[in-house]
This record gives sequence, structure tokens and C-alpha cells, in this order.
Amino acid sequence: MSFDILPQALVNGLMAGTVLAVPAIGFTAIFAIRGYPNFMIGAMATIGAYAGWMANSSAGFSLWAAVAVAFVAAALIGLVTEKVAVRPLEASGALTMAIASLAMSIVLENAIRFFFSNNLRGFDTPLERDVVMMGIRFGPQQLRNLLIALGIMVAIWAILKFTRFGRAMRASADNPDLARLKGVEPVRIADITIAMAMGLCGLGGALLAIDSSVDPMVGTRLLLSIFAAAVLGGLGSIPGAVVGALSIGIIEEMTVAYLAPAYRLAISFIVIILVLTFRPQGILGAKVR
Amino acid sequence: MLTYIVFILTIAAIYALLAQSLVPIWGQTGMVNLGLVGFFAVGAYASALLTRDFGWPVYLGPIVGLVAGGILGLIVTLSTLRLRDDYLAIVTLGFAEVVRIVASNEIWLTGGTDGIAGIPGVFERGTGLTFHVQFMVLTTLLCLVIGLLITRLVKSPWGRVLRAIRDDQIVASVAGKKVVRFKAQSFMLGASIAGLAGALYGSYISYIAPDLFLPLITIYVFLAATAGGNTRALGATVGAYLLVAWLEISRFIGEVVPVLSAVQIASLREIIVGLALVIVLRFAPGGLFKEKRQKAPVT
Amino acid sequence: MRSFLDRNSINRRSLIKGIGAAATLTLAAPAILRAQEAPLRLGTLTPLTGAGGPYGPTMVDAVRKVVDNINGSGILKREIILVSEDSQTNPEAAVRAARKLIDVDQVSAIIGTWASAVTTAVAPMCWESKTMLFTVSGADSITQLPHDGYIIRTQPNTTLQGLKFGAFAIELGGKRVFFLTPQTPFADSQFVTITSSVEEAGGVTERLIYDDKKPSLRSEVDQALRFNPDVIILGGYTPDTTILMRDLYRSGFEGHLIGFGYSINQDLLNGLPADVVEGAYTLSPSPAEGSKAYDELAELVGVAAPDTYTCQVYDHINMILTTVAKAGGVSGTEIRDTIRSISQGGGTVVENATAGIEAVQAGEKVDYSGASGPCDFNDIGDIVDANFRYEQVVDGKITLLKIA
Repeated sequence: MSFDILPQALVNGLMAGTVLAVPAIGFTAIFAIRGYPNFMIGAMATIGAYAGWMANSSAGFSLWAAVAVAFVAAALIGLVTEKVAVRPLEASGALTMAIASLAMSIVLENAIRFFFSNNLRGFDTPLERDVVMMGIRFGPQQLRNLLIALGIMVAIWAILKFTRFGRAMRASADNPDLARLKGVEPVRIADITIAMAMGLCGLGGALLAIDSSVDPMVGTRLLLSIFAAAVLGGLGSIPGAVVGALSIGIIEEMTVAYLAPAYRLAISFIVIILVLTFRPQGILGAKVR
Repeated sequence: MLTYIVFILTIAAIYALLAQSLVPIWGQTGMVNLGLVGFFAVGAYASALLTRDFGWPVYLGPIVGLVAGGILGLIVTLSTLRLRDDYLAIVTLGFAEVVRIVASNEIWLTGGTDGIAGIPGVFERGTGLTFHVQFMVLTTLLCLVIGLLITRLVKSPWGRVLRAIRDDQIVASVAGKKVVRFKAQSFMLGASIAGLAGALYGSYISYIAPDLFLPLITIYVFLAATAGGNTRALGATVGAYLLVAWLEISRFIGEVVPVLSAVQIASLREIIVGLALVIVLRFAPGGLFKEKRQKAPVT
Repeated sequence: MRSFLDRNSINRRSLIKGIGAAATLTLAAPAILRAQEAPLRLGTLTPLTGAGGPYGPTMVDAVRKVVDNINGSGILKREIILVSEDSQTNPEAAVRAARKLIDVDQVSAIIGTWASAVTTAVAPMCWESKTMLFTVSGADSITQLPHDGYIIRTQPNTTLQGLKFGAFAIELGGKRVFFLTPQTPFADSQFVTITSSVEEAGGVTERLIYDDKKPSLRSEVDQALRFNPDVIILGGYTPDTTILMRDLYRSGFEGHLIGFGYSINQDLLNGLPADVVEGAYTLSPSPAEGSKAYDELAELVGVAAPDTYTCQVYDHINMILTTVAKAGGVSGTEIRDTIRSISQGGGTVVENATAGIEAVQAGEKVDYSGASGPCDFNDIGDIVDANFRYEQVVDGKITLLKIA
């Protein structure tokens, strides 16, 4: 059990967690404002990855522009899908909507496979070597991802807390009828929430793909870890999603460094159970919903 | 052709058992068990190991599966006591993955990714169609018996308590019901049925491996139960048979559209499965067999 | 729902198939008019979705193209009907698909099962129904099953691969060899044989088993590098190897990288920037030098460097067609009993179905040698020997170094 590898393992964990953070924010936002767990987030990340890749490799967009394209594409496709397949089931309850989103996630992943097959694609960008600071290696793209995740987190948190629109979103979540009486249009709120959350998943997918590769399962492979991140951080809390994501990243890298790498998912879940047993609302979750 | 049909009917009955396992847990008590395939796996492994490596008689296999599923169900309930329902869904999903990871890596116990081959069949193999028909009769009978059992339990006072817990946990506990005990009983019942299904599957196919127990199976069964109606054994069973029928029928769709490549046909099949479910949910949201509202008993 | 599966629907389906066949017939009329015998029914069961998805489609494509060629020329004197099913890289789905292929499509052989779990699950129903199973799976236990000769496997077993890899690592000057692999049925056996090869030359080895679903394998790479290896051997498949290679590049690893031909393949090269893969070595089973089969296959499927799975199913279909031409019948049992008489034992060397069929019809004794190796099988269906193709990524292309 050597402790000199600890700093690098911690940094690796943070870097690995950033990839989960943005989709986790999307997931938890839908949960907070729409009230159900939306399982499409993995497929939306994949869609964002493909959209960004097409923009980058076929149309020659820069990485930043490609990521923006990913956001927009995922927002649009996600919104349309949700409005057509999931929202009509609102009267049947949260679980039914969750199941419908699960079904649509299968549909979307296979739609991608239908058009693109299973071949691996890569963004048209050179790979940067690590930056070494104080003897610890950092990946430049991953540092950027971390900043992006933090930036998004702050932006959304600020919107929810300080803008009229954000307050309207929270009001709509707590009491839709009362909110409507006050002139808040719930359909509009729902649309914007979903579009934004799906867009974030797509953005996260593109960021992930820039650093790895693009195939039809690139997003769905992460599904469990994204859930774990959102749950650990406290479902419904935006900062919680980021904290949860970074924590999951660190837990997993610790498992790799000190236990058995093959067990990283298993250990994550055991940790989550322990945390939730002693703190049922998650790290930053609200005590009463 | 006949063998194929009998085979598919047997598989459908096993899926029906899995769907029925969701009725007490999810339909009646409101606990979302996304770790279904984990109980399926535990039942399969326990039964396979004991009948193949320890020489236990084959007819004990299904019982072993039942018990193993129940024990794991108890463990899961106890570990997740304080979790809210929303968290339960995701945590149970994690549980199933943990089972799969342990099965893949603990080679000394489970054979690892090599799996367990040569599992003894409850009936003798090598008799051609007879073997399949025997299994089909067994699984369909079990499906019927357990379906009837669940239906009776649903109508019983025990079932009423479960629904009370499902609809409002706090009220139920204020009314003096020991919520934890009922939840545990319900979960264990469902989990043991899933374990039984696992033992039957392993015995029928003669081989199990960690790669068999993917979340996709849980998803399929959830789709089936939702479409059929998750509060009633009849609904869950019909949903499962429809699911398997649909999974198989979708193969032939590919032959009608010859211009598609093989991978496109494969994706199209998956898309059709997902869309079919969404359509059912849209036009029959409680499932094809909705919950029957019970009248309050005359006092 | 039951009505769909009854007789009328089967006839309806046959009618649809018939219409499709009629359409093809009008295009190939002269050739097929000569075909009078019972058709040969074959099935492919490859991973089109799921973890093996990167490999399945190209495999099916190779088989289909060979079948189309032979149907078009009509030299087999019977129609070949090919049905393709998706194994979903999942034994549960694969078992249902295999049942359908065997009982509904009545295939004589199933080609291309990839995941070892899928092959092991499907094998019993194949040997019980006397259907041939041609597989590319690597787990040693597969050919140990009581398959009565109904399994043919073109993938070299792990002992052979491990020895070759270990020996090559030594040849590259390695003294400290690290093996990075996900959990597979051969993670253990390969490591054991690599180690015996390396230790014999005075080197040392170490291994790490990683989870192949992670988006980043940094810590795993860090651990490998702490061993100070001069050679790293990669045991995973394309998606996780992509990630490994990125993280290895980022870490500044300067030593040699050796991977299996099925992971460092054209697909991987397409997905990674050039300097990340540059210089990596790869080994694949191969026929002896001078064989044209590999190049013919590359041209057929339009892939510059087809990976070993595609090569193997190409050999499967070629051998099946040649065997049927020789046996005169189409059943699985006849294929089982006749295949070794065309795949080995000397005679005219043939490297594709057309050459094989023509030679057989001319009464010659043939010996098939394919794109994946000499294709000589022992009693339990394993290949007896294979050469290996040693390649390296040079200037962004997979370049042949030697065959040995």
C-alpha cells in the first residue's frame, strides 16, 4: 500500500470524474424539475458525440464549435423525442415516464447504429501529451473538461437561484398548478428544461468522445456511472451532480490503484450504499423533497 | 420448426416467471427492482454449481434457485432499507452489475468468463423434441402455479398492506404496519421467483456465463411487465409472452426488407421492440391488464 | 400471436422469400437454370450489436460476398441460401437465434460465433441437431466440449498465441514485459504462456486485469508503467484498446507495444490520430508466405487490412462450399465427415471457394489454405498449427514485417 501514488491516483480520479459530471447535471436537472429519472441520457451523450464528430471531421469545425453543435443537436433531438414519446405519459406517473425513456434510449442507440454501423470513429484532432505539474500528470483536455463542468454547474446553479426564469423552473417543479396561476407556463418550462438537460448530455458525450472514440455505445457504457454520480451527490442537486461525479471518479481510481481494477464498478456501488445508509439524501441532496 | 416453437414457449415461460417476480415487488409494493437479472443470475449459478459439481439431485436445482434468490433478496432489502424509491432503482441496477462482476472475476467459484457448461437437465437430454416438450410443460406449469399464487396473495390482506405501502408509506406505517417487514417479504418473494427462473434456464440451456446476465434482460422484462400490467400476474405473464413473441417475430421483418444490411436489420429489430413498448404505454398506460380496484371489505 | 407462427404464415414467408429469390433469379438466370439439386442452407451468427459489434458486420459482409459470387457463377450447381442473425454478444439472444437457424431455416452450418460464451451456449444445440458450428472464439474449453466433431475452430488456442507473443517480445529486446488485459476466458492462460516464453529468455512479466468499460485507463497505465516495462502487450478489443493507446501515448511511454491483430486493426487506425498508433506491433494468425488468400479477401471486402475474424469466416465459407462440392450432399453430418479431406492432407492447394469447387469437380484432391492460416484441423476441431503475420503500423498503415 504505497502512498506516493496517492496524489496521482486522486488527480486521475478527478479527471475521470469530469467526464461524468456534465451528463450527471443533465440527469439530475430533469429529476429535479420534471420529477422522474430519465434513462435517455446515455443515448443522448452518444448522439452528441456523433453530431460533434460529424461537424468536426466532415465539416471541418473546430473542437469548440463541434462541441456546440453537439449541444444543439442533442437538445433538439432530445426534446422532440421526449415530447413525442415520454411527456404524453405524464398522467401515468414518474415510473411510466422512466420506463418510456428507457425504451427510447434503446431506440436511439440503435438508430445511430442503423446509420453509422459499429465502426469506431475519431475526432480529427491531434492528441496532446500530458502536462506535468509538481510531479503529477494532467491531461490538458481533461483539465478543460473539468473547467467546463464547473462552469456549467455554476451557470445553472446561478440561473436557478437568481433569475426569474430559474425561479419559475423551481416553482413549476414544486407546485405546477400554483405556478401556472402565477403566469408560469409549465409546458415552456418543461421544454426548456429538457432541451437544456439533453443538450448537456450531448455536450458531455462530445467531450468524452474527443478524448476516446465514437461508437454507438460510447454514451450508454457510462450510464451506470452517471447514475451513481447523481445518486451519490444527491438526486436533484446540481452541485451534487458534480461532487458526485468527481467522487465516483476518485473512488474508481482508488479501486484501480489499491484494490482490483476489475472491481471498480462493484466498489463504487458498495460505497454508494454505505453513504446512502448513513446519509439517505446523498452528499448534497435536500432532506425533504 | 416444432422444436423452435416449443423452445420459444419454454423461454417465454421463463421470462414470464421473471415478469411475475416484479408483480409483488414493483406492482404491489412500488419498489423498482432494476437488479432483476442479478437474482436470475444467483439462482442460476447456485443451482448449476450444486447440481453439476456437488452432485445434488437435479430436481433440487429449481428449489435451490428459489432459495438462493430469496436470500439475496433479503440481503438487498436489508442493505437498502433507508433508501428512497428513486435511489432504490439505481442501486438495485448496481447490485446486478456487482453480481455479474463477481461472477466474471471469481474464477475459482463461478468459472469466470468461461461460464459453467454441462449443467444437468431436470430431464434427460438427447431425446430430441421430447426433452423440449418436457421442459415446456414444466416451466409453463410453474408459471401457472406461481401466477395463481401471486394472484391470491394480491387479493389477500397481505396484498392490501403492500398496496397501502406502495401508495403511501407514511400512512401505512402510522396505521401500525411494520413497513420494513412487509417490504422484505415482498422483495424476497419476487427475488426467489427470479432465482427459480434462473435455475430453470441454466438447466434447460445447460450453460450459463456472466455475459448472459446483462441489464438488457432486466430492461426487456420491465418492458414486458409494463406493457402487460405490472400489478397482476396475468398482466405480467401476457406481457412476457408478447415480448418473446415480438423479439422473435421482429427477425422476419428483416426478410421483408432485403435492401438492408445485416447490422441495419439488427438495429431495426431493437428499434421496433422499443417503439412497440412506447406505443403500448401511450394507448394502454396501465398496461393491457390494469389494476383492479378492490372495494373496501364490508365490516 | 400464435397464429403468426402457424403454417399459413410459413407459406407466406416462403412466398416472400420466393419473390425475392425470383428477383435474383432473373438477374442470374442462365447460371441458376443449371441448378437442380437441393439448396445449401447456411447461417451466420455474428455480433451485430453489443460488445462484439465492431466485428460482426464485416464478418457477415465477407461471407455474403462469397455466397453471392458462387450463386452468381452457379458452379456449385445448387443454390446457397444464407440467413444472418445477430448474436447480440449475449448467449440468451444467441441461443434463440441459433434455435431459429437450426429449426426454421434448417441450416447445415452456423458460421462466425464470436464471443466464447455465445459459442459455448450454442454448441450443444448444434451437435444435438447435427449442425456444424464454425467459430472464431478463443476459449480453450470450447473444443473440449463433447461436440462429436461438429465444431471447427479457426482461432489459434491461447497456448500458441501466448508463446508467439512472448517470443516476439523477447525478439524486440524486451526484458520486462507487462500484459494489460480485460477479464476474458484467456486472460490467465495467455499470461501463463507469455510468462514461460519470456522467463525462458531471462525476462520478467507482470499483468493487470482492467475493466474494459471505462472511458479512461490512466491509473491502469500508471500501474503498468511503475513496473518499468520495455514491452507492453495489449489483450483487449478495439474499443478499450483505443482508450489504452491514448493513455499510453499521453503518459509518454517509449517502449514497444504489441497487440492482437483483432484489436490493432483498420478500425482502430481510423479512430485514432496517427502518432498514437504509430509503431505499434500486431500479430495475427496467417497462412504461409506466398499465399494470395489474404490479399484476395482484402479486395473482396474493400478493407485494406481485414482483421483475423473476417479472415476466419472467409475461410469458413470457402471450406464449407468446397466440402459440399466434394460430399455431394448438404447435411451437417456430411460436412463434418468430409471437411478434413479438403482442408488438409496434401493435394492441390486452393485458396478460395471457386478454385476449391472447380478442383473438386475436376476430381483432384485439394488442400484448402486460407486467409487465416493453413486451416488444418485436429480431431477436436482445433487448428493444428498456424503461422503468424507480424505487422507494424508504419506511416499510418498496417505493414507486414514477416510471416513466421
